Amino acid sequence: MINLEINRNEVLRYLGYKKGDIGESISQLIDECIEEIKKYSNYKYTYIVLKIKQSEDNIELLKSNLILEGSDILHHLKDSTMCAVLAVTLGSLVDTKIKFFEKTNLTKALILDACASTAIEWVCDEASHKIKEEALSDHDLGITYRYSPGYGDFSMDIQPEIINALEAQKKIGLTVTETNILIPRKSVTAIIGFQDKNIISIHPGCKTCNNAKWCQLKKGGNYCGN
Amino acid sequence: MGTMLQQRGLKTGEVPETYNIIHPEIIKEIHEEYIEAGANIITTNTFGANELKLKNTGYSVEEIIISAVNIAKEAKGEKYIALDIGPIGQMLEPIGTLSFERAYEIIKKQVIAGVKAGCDLILIETISDLYEAKAAVLAAKENSNLPVFCTMTFEENGRTFTGTDPITMVTLLEGLGVDALGVNCSLGPGELLPIVEEILKYSSIPVMVQPNAGLPKIINGETVYDISEEEFSKHVQIMAEKGACILGGCCGTNEKFIKKLVSEIKGKSPKVLENKGYTTVCSPSKTVILGNGVKVIGERINPTGKKKFKDALKNNNIDYILTEAINQMEAGADILDVNVGLPEINETEMMVRVINEIQSIINLPLQIDSSSSEVIEAAARIYNGKPIINSVNGKDQIMREVFPIAKKYGACVVGLTLDDNGIPSKAEDRFKIAEKIVNTAKEYGIKKEDILIDCLVLTASAQQEEVMETLKAVRLVKEKLGVKTLLGVSNVSFGLPNRELLNQTFLSMALVQGLDAPILNPNNKTIMDVIKSFKVLANLDKEAKEYIEANSNVEVKQDVQPINKGNLKDIIIKGIKEEASQITKELLKTNDSLTIVDNYLIPALDIVGAKFERGEIFLPQLIQSAETVKNSFAVIKEKEVLENKKGISKGKIILATVKGDIHDIGKNIVKVILENYGFEIIDLGKDVPIEKVVKIAKEEDVKLVGLSALMTTTVKSMEETIKALKENNVQCKIIVGGAVLNPEYAEMINADYYAKDAQEAVQIAKKIFNIV
Repeated sequence: MINLEINRNEVLRYLGYKKGDIGESISQLIDECIEEIKKYSNYKYTYIVLKIKQSEDNIELLKSNLILEGSDILHHLKDSTMCAVLAVTLGSLVDTKIKFFEKTNLTKALILDACASTAIEWVCDEASHKIKEEALSDHDLGITYRYSPGYGDFSMDIQPEIINALEAQKKIGLTVTETNILIPRKSVTAIIGFQDKNIISIHPGCKTCNNAKWCQLKKGGNYCGN
Repeated sequence: MGTMLQQRGLKTGEVPETYNIIHPEIIKEIHEEYIEAGANIITTNTFGANELKLKNTGYSVEEIIISAVNIAKEAKGEKYIALDIGPIGQMLEPIGTLSFERAYEIIKKQVIAGVKAGCDLILIETISDLYEAKAAVLAAKENSNLPVFCTMTFEENGRTFTGTDPITMVTLLEGLGVDALGVNCSLGPGELLPIVEEILKYSSIPVMVQPNAGLPKIINGETVYDISEEEFSKHVQIMAEKGACILGGCCGTNEKFIKKLVSEIKGKSPKVLENKGYTTVCSPSKTVILGNGVKVIGERINPTGKKKFKDALKNNNIDYILTEAINQMEAGADILDVNVGLPEINETEMMVRVINEIQSIINLPLQIDSSSSEVIEAAARIYNGKPIINSVNGKDQIMREVFPIAKKYGACVVGLTLDDNGIPSKAEDRFKIAEKIVNTAKEYGIKKEDILIDCLVLTASAQQEEVMETLKAVRLVKEKLGVKTLLGVSNVSFGLPNRELLNQTFLSMALVQGLDAPILNPNNKTIMDVIKSFKVLANLDKEAKEYIEANSNVEVKQDVQPINKGNLKDIIIKGIKEEASQITKELLKTNDSLTIVDNYLIPALDIVGAKFERGEIFLPQLIQSAETVKNSFAVIKEKEVLENKKGISKGKIILATVKGDIHDIGKNIVKVILENYGFEIIDLGKDVPIEKVVKIAKEEDVKLVGLSALMTTTVKSMEETIKALKENNVQCKIIVGGAVLNPEYAEMINADYYAKDAQEAVQIAKKIFNIV
């Protein structure tokens, strides 16, 4: 497994940093937190690749019981003939440590949380990269960007089915609550379409987000990366 | 079973247990193949047959399990039928949201159905969360008389996904009285060997292994495992030679693997494991072996003689207790004693809550300290791991009450050397009581290694001649009974000046006598130094490594920076947390509390708040300043408690992260900032049931309730909480916040206010409580 990388500027962005002097103590604390999250993380990912069958109002993932619904995911996979279903996690120790610092040093907890969010994005990128290589080598195809439950009208209700289909608990220790929250908390599931490698797929940023109108990050000129 | 079903057409994500009803012939065929291959035990197709996983299948737990056991019975050939129970699929608290009792109920249903259908044994497997293993074993043992086997799944780093290592698994499961324990799934047999060796090193009961057929590889989109039957059985045989005696396979294996294995081990008899005799206690991720060096039991979580602690218990101030726990851990305690006995409170409820809260953030094993067997039982049940129970003594009645609890939950027990006649003055008589305790424990099936004897320290000021008797008793107990000892050290100096010196000397004397676990205040550096130096002199700290490390930078630490007096405002603005308490103490000498709040804290906060709004500082800086104020407030509150004054409160506010949601950090930020402004916060925590919000809001007559939700899915329960508050005519305003909310959404769910951040929450609270 490659060593986890955490981009400091991304951490600052998650923390809502816009301008001004962050001060020596916070600056040091950020460096410390980056190292600690690297230490606490036990990142893992798992995915399956399935052929898909498009129809008017849903997408069926063949040889599985997964059916994706919602116009946004349909649009996302419009050029795809197959897709990868991905789940990634940083593991539960990160959660425990953040919880610990919430009791002893909230500033640190907040920064650790931002570092972990940055870290999970990095893991997603790593996994996507791997999937991209596989799409190219096995199928001579390119991939779409990642699309997760909760984006647009792609319902979070699919979360348990994704976890189940991936056997994510057994493989990477990832579960989902009755309210569709992933546990460990720093985890992501996503769908990545396989499509003609000449089509370029770029994340549309805030355009697909339901909360774009009110988002505090967006007002500061940032985007959350999700 | 899973592997076999996939080969026979089970789709990805399909619920395998439905095959018991729709394709019983396939399940039967698989069983028969395994019996034919020579398996003695077949596992029913019920891995995920719990009410959560079967929810959308249209079948009940009973239907699935009864049909599964019946199919197994019908399969031709001689066999034992194991009711297979896999993980529930949701994570238990504190990592997840499923409560321990709910987990117990879910598994209980499976066990009852299995027993009714006539299975021969219960196999709990592929568990990664130790707490779930405990719930499952209790459910199995309390609802059946069948043998119970339990295996967990480990990663290559030697731990489960939630951080349990092999010794910890053995400590818990053996304590709970399972009939066999071990490991399944996880890895291939080669990679599993070190884990199995570790289990065998500590287990005194039969060990079972079911490895995968090597490591998974993805070839053409299909998962395949990479080793052959020959290689598999070669490795598993090594495990058998080392002492594993129930053998099988997991992912990627099939009847051919079993056949090969059976043919290889035929005629060999299983190795019987000896009793290891370790005294172990554990949390989910840490085991402490007593007798292996000096282990410190922290004594600070105890209200006796502590006004602030009593106050914290009465006011449900769990954070105060947690701080005591954290400080002791950081000071080097190995185990923490937990005593929350106070006549005015419900001790059982408080004990359970405190244990849950401590275990959610730190991993030291705990010692349950109570004089009530009801409290002890409740605590031993929900404790995640193997605890110490403090205590029994030579009185028959108390042993009758406590030993069955200790046996059932597999706890260690402290035995005090006193009885109906009090504490004997002579060491020999204390030894006799210790002997009686150990022998009585044996009658209850409790091994002597699970008994810790406390020979009781008397004060040198009142019973000087008996100090040496205590030490003599320690040695007698160690040598003649061979059990571990503990002592509450600081009693010795009661009533004399310079107590620390006496404590230190007494501790050294006791350690020489063989004391295994002193109970003391680890925050007291000098006494901890005695232990560190003892470890060097007793040849426990090899090459004095720990000692040198602890003492190499002593001088640097004394270099304290001069305090910039009277500049509290600046300190808050700069967020220099460490300096706030000292300066506040200074200020309190010449100012009253309210002056400090109004002239220093609030103006500084307003400046910081304005800077934040203008984007000149960002969130971590705001919080750092807020925590600086918090430290200052702590000093003010401490003074008020000591002087019996009513604290500053500008209004009572409930804060809660709504039911189903576990994102806590945003709510905690709002909490610290509201507290800074003098509001009294009743923090209900996360995943808070609707009824609880309503109940507390009514009881405490609260004017403002703040609700937080971070997920679109949990905004629904926010809406229901608001509805319940209004339907129950709770006369309060409701303010909501959280990443997915916005003013429109807040209005739609009938909240009175929406706050985009903590600063805005302060403005709203000020308005509601008419504060200018």
